[in-house]
Amino acid sequence: MKVVYNWLKDFVDLTAPPQELASRLALSGTNVGSVENGPHGAVIDAEVGSNRPDCLGHYGIAREVAAIYKLALKHVSLKPAESAAKAGDAIKVEIQSPELCGRFTARVIRNVKIQPSPKWLKDRLEASGVASISNVVDISNYVMLELGHALHTFDYDKVRDHKIVVRKAKPSEKIRTLDGVERQLDSGMCMICDGDGSRTVGIGGIMGGAETEISFSTKNVLIECAWFDPIAIRRATRFLKLHTEASTRFGRGADPEMAELASRRCAELILQLAGGELLAGVVDVYPGKRVPKKIRVTRAEILRVMGADVPDKQIEASLTALGFAPVRIDHNRGAEGSLLATWECTQPSWRAEVEREIDLIEEIARIYGLEKFPPRLPAARQGASRLPHHEAETRLRERLIGLGYREIVTIPHVAEERDALFRPAGVLPARLSNPLSEEAGVLKSTGIVTMAAALEWNLNHGQRNARLFEIGRHYRLEGNQSLETRVLTLGATGEAREKGLYDSAREFSFADLKGDLDAIGQLVGSGHDARGFDWHDGGTDWLHAAKRGKMSIAKTELGVAGQLARRVADRLKLRQDVFFAELELDALYAAIKAAKTSRRYEPLPRFPAVERDFSLLLADGITFAQIVESIRSLNIPEITSIETVDLFRGKNVPAGKVSLLIRVTFQSREATLMDAQINHFVGKVISILEHRHGAQLRAS
Amino acid sequence: MPTVDNATAKTLNELGVNDAQGVAEIFAEVRARFDRQVALDTDGIRNLMLQQAWLGSDRDPVTSLRNFWLGRKAGVLTLITENWLKRSPPSLKGVIGKQFNELKSHIETKLAEQRKRIEEKTEAAALTREQVDLSLPGVIHPIGSHHLIRQVFQEIEDIFFSIGFSVVEGPEIETPYYNFEALNIPEFHPVRDDMDTFYIDLPEGAPTPLLLRTHTSPMQIRTMEKQKPPVRVIVPGKVYRRDNPDATHSFMFHQVEGLAVDTDITFCDFTGTIEYFVKQFFGAGVKTRFRPSYFPFTEPSVEFDVSCIFCGGSGAAAGGGVCSKCKGAGWIELFGAGMVDPAVYGFVNYDAKKVSGFAFGMGIDRLAMLRYGIDDIQVFFQNDVRFLKQFP
Repeated sequence: MKVVYNWLKDFVDLTAPPQELASRLALSGTNVGSVENGPHGAVIDAEVGSNRPDCLGHYGIAREVAAIYKLALKHVSLKPAESAAKAGDAIKVEIQSPELCGRFTARVIRNVKIQPSPKWLKDRLEASGVASISNVVDISNYVMLELGHALHTFDYDKVRDHKIVVRKAKPSEKIRTLDGVERQLDSGMCMICDGDGSRTVGIGGIMGGAETEISFSTKNVLIECAWFDPIAIRRATRFLKLHTEASTRFGRGADPEMAELASRRCAELILQLAGGELLAGVVDVYPGKRVPKKIRVTRAEILRVMGADVPDKQIEASLTALGFAPVRIDHNRGAEGSLLATWECTQPSWRAEVEREIDLIEEIARIYGLEKFPPRLPAARQGASRLPHHEAETRLRERLIGLGYREIVTIPHVAEERDALFRPAGVLPARLSNPLSEEAGVLKSTGIVTMAAALEWNLNHGQRNARLFEIGRHYRLEGNQSLETRVLTLGATGEAREKGLYDSAREFSFADLKGDLDAIGQLVGSGHDARGFDWHDGGTDWLHAAKRGKMSIAKTELGVAGQLARRVADRLKLRQDVFFAELELDALYAAIKAAKTSRRYEPLPRFPAVERDFSLLLADGITFAQIVESIRSLNIPEITSIETVDLFRGKNVPAGKVSLLIRVTFQSREATLMDAQINHFVGKVISILEHRHGAQLRAS
Repeated sequence: MPTVDNATAKTLNELGVNDAQGVAEIFAEVRARFDRQVALDTDGIRNLMLQQAWLGSDRDPVTSLRNFWLGRKAGVLTLITENWLKRSPPSLKGVIGKQFNELKSHIETKLAEQRKRIEEKTEAAALTREQVDLSLPGVIHPIGSHHLIRQVFQEIEDIFFSIGFSVVEGPEIETPYYNFEALNIPEFHPVRDDMDTFYIDLPEGAPTPLLLRTHTSPMQIRTMEKQKPPVRVIVPGKVYRRDNPDATHSFMFHQVEGLAVDTDITFCDFTGTIEYFVKQFFGAGVKTRFRPSYFPFTEPSVEFDVSCIFCGGSGAAAGGGVCSKCKGAGWIELFGAGMVDPAVYGFVNYDAKKVSGFAFGMGIDRLAMLRYGIDDIQVFFQNDVRFLKQFP
């Protein structure tokens, strides 16, 4: 709403300069976008809240100004000269749908002269950003901008039978509106019709029809000034996708009492600028007349909500200026500042949204000044808690960052085809019914989708080394229910170690990914066996069939890890190896918490450890885990660790075989181990490996 | 004059030394010879020792010199003890002994000095050789980082946690009831036009529509449903509005919701809490102001402004003209907030006559953009490593 500074002076004796006025308006609730000095004086761009339809006109803003500066608001009282002929004989109005149209007033002016508007009118419209058309049309816009109430003018002679019927639209009914567009109507809409009611001449409160509009040949004018139900208007504008100055005002709740006054103002201006004679009286059908509500406000409640007092005079002055007509009704009447003070107020017709005590308190506070309520910090009443998984997540984050992963944050909206690449079979994705584009039509059903996009972005922008993580959610449907699951997603590509002065470069490999995950797994392990995740063959089909695995803790599946399958990488045009992992966080957090609870100190050994290496020649396919399992099955408590230190295929190793160097550490908690004991253990180890796995011991 | 080598192989008598005067002279001669030798440089000593057949080629010449003079079996001093001291007449023994002790002490001191000199020199040479170039990079192990949005979340969480606010989270896919109705935003409320909403495509006949929450405020309702007052929570999370993306709009962004409800929370407590937060976050020098505003679920509602952190609230740019960040206003709008509207309590069975409280919802992306001078919101979600590295 463009507020023309000089226009306000028609209603209040304003002396404050425009900048100061703008600032005071902003601090009392009328948000100000900008103040501009134009050819017609200062124009304040006021961003009027959707709860303040009364401020969509200069008169309403002037009322705010009067309240802020304690100025008198000039009343709009008009008595345009009327002819002997009566309006009631010239026009009939019938409201068939009073639930949609609460009031309809009609005035008729004969023998007007349609012509361009005078300069002063054009100037004010121009300052308000409205184009000038002709005097009668301009006047209806002018009155709307002045009093905040939208009107419509018809060419009286084009209204059939000189009768207006207000009714609901019929299904599949159509109208060609003023803007020349033919519009399909919906049954809840309020239609202005003429004659027997069969022809629509306007969509009530939104836009007039083309057939009865004012033209330069118009002689006689019918002024419609009505009131329409705000919800019906909003429903209609949403259906029609048509927003007009009129629909904005009626949609937020116009003042039904203003309808007649605005009509009179319009008639007065037409007489003044277009001549003609105004038929006596007004046809006023008013089925929606409301009895003004009484609302009470007490000092006790002001104190309870605001935490500081407002003087009686301030309360009364503010409420009076805003039209609430406060009356002290408590027994302590006359006692200034009484804690029992109660005022009974009357809701003005232009403030339908003010219905409750709290609404009045807001009015009092905003005019008094919010800065007058002294800020203080409330005392905490109880201990505060973090999220239940806060500690586990913090530990996880520390690890990830220590391991070199950078956190990313992504928008979960992805393209269906991308999501489908990674979506597990049988999973129902959460599709949007109104996406902005197909590229963002579905919420990711796994974090891999957006992780892949992040790696892709980096590769396309010359960043070929990336190690990324996201702690986020994936989104799925289960029937009619949504399912949001917290997940950790890892993505890595490029060099695990970049070439530097001291080291050569090394590409990221599956072993890097597994090592990083095992470092996270340490958080759920305990004692010397800190590698917490169990690894299993398998995984999803978008992972490389030979370089992937599944992780679990005890029997709980946690997720998958591996290299992206080449076919998928080709599809995404990723020209280098990329690695992904995704873990379900609720299970991981639970395990981290449980491990913390059960973790106990293990006394450090006092006796030396002895290492023995076993260089084994094994058939391909025998896993390290099988070797460990066999050695563990010997139940030698002195074996404290089994590690592999070298793995070799090729030269000097027969085809189909692999050379594996195992390092076993022996240590006793009771005594230093003797050579004989160790040799005895070594013999058992060799024997079981030979026996179970056909291992050959190589000379090392 | 006999050389020392020869001389020490003989007795003093054989050398014709019979009196104290002679003893002094011959000891002076030995001492002079030592002084000449000890003054030689390392190479000189090496040559000398080779000449004396006292040094293997790989031996340290300084050690050899020491052994030549002080060696227990065949050092010069040992020879002097054996041939001069022990085999001289008792009348001269006192004089010889005295001279001997002086010589020994002199040699030991000089050799120790020589060793120290050489060691210092060696060390200096080594330091020069081993000096690190501090301008060369060290070995850098790859280190990760938190996303900037996360860092800001954490900071805000810590500030509110310190004044008694608990942290809760909620679903991003919500029902219209929690996102709108229970927040006093019925269908066809004009505010819904400002919150263009994404809906989930559900199978035909689904009982409730699902949408992507347009704010974190649904958690106000979910929290109060579960818990009786006192309530003090903040809710970090993602929110969604169906806006076309540009430099200042993303259809996904982040909010932190706050809610405090108790029997004695007033507007003053509300502004005090917000001011405390802002001074912690932006610094104590920042000025604040509350402007009346409108939200269906708070009343009184406010917009909260801080003095522009770029121009210090003056509205003028450093190089002249108008500050581009606050457009000359001197203030920057931060977020909306207010006292919880009593109508909201009706949805969660709180007694609006007995409790009161405040709520706020702040956009995190915007806070981060303001504080770090980021001019394009999209950069947060592209996750370019070069961006991520800027916020270690």
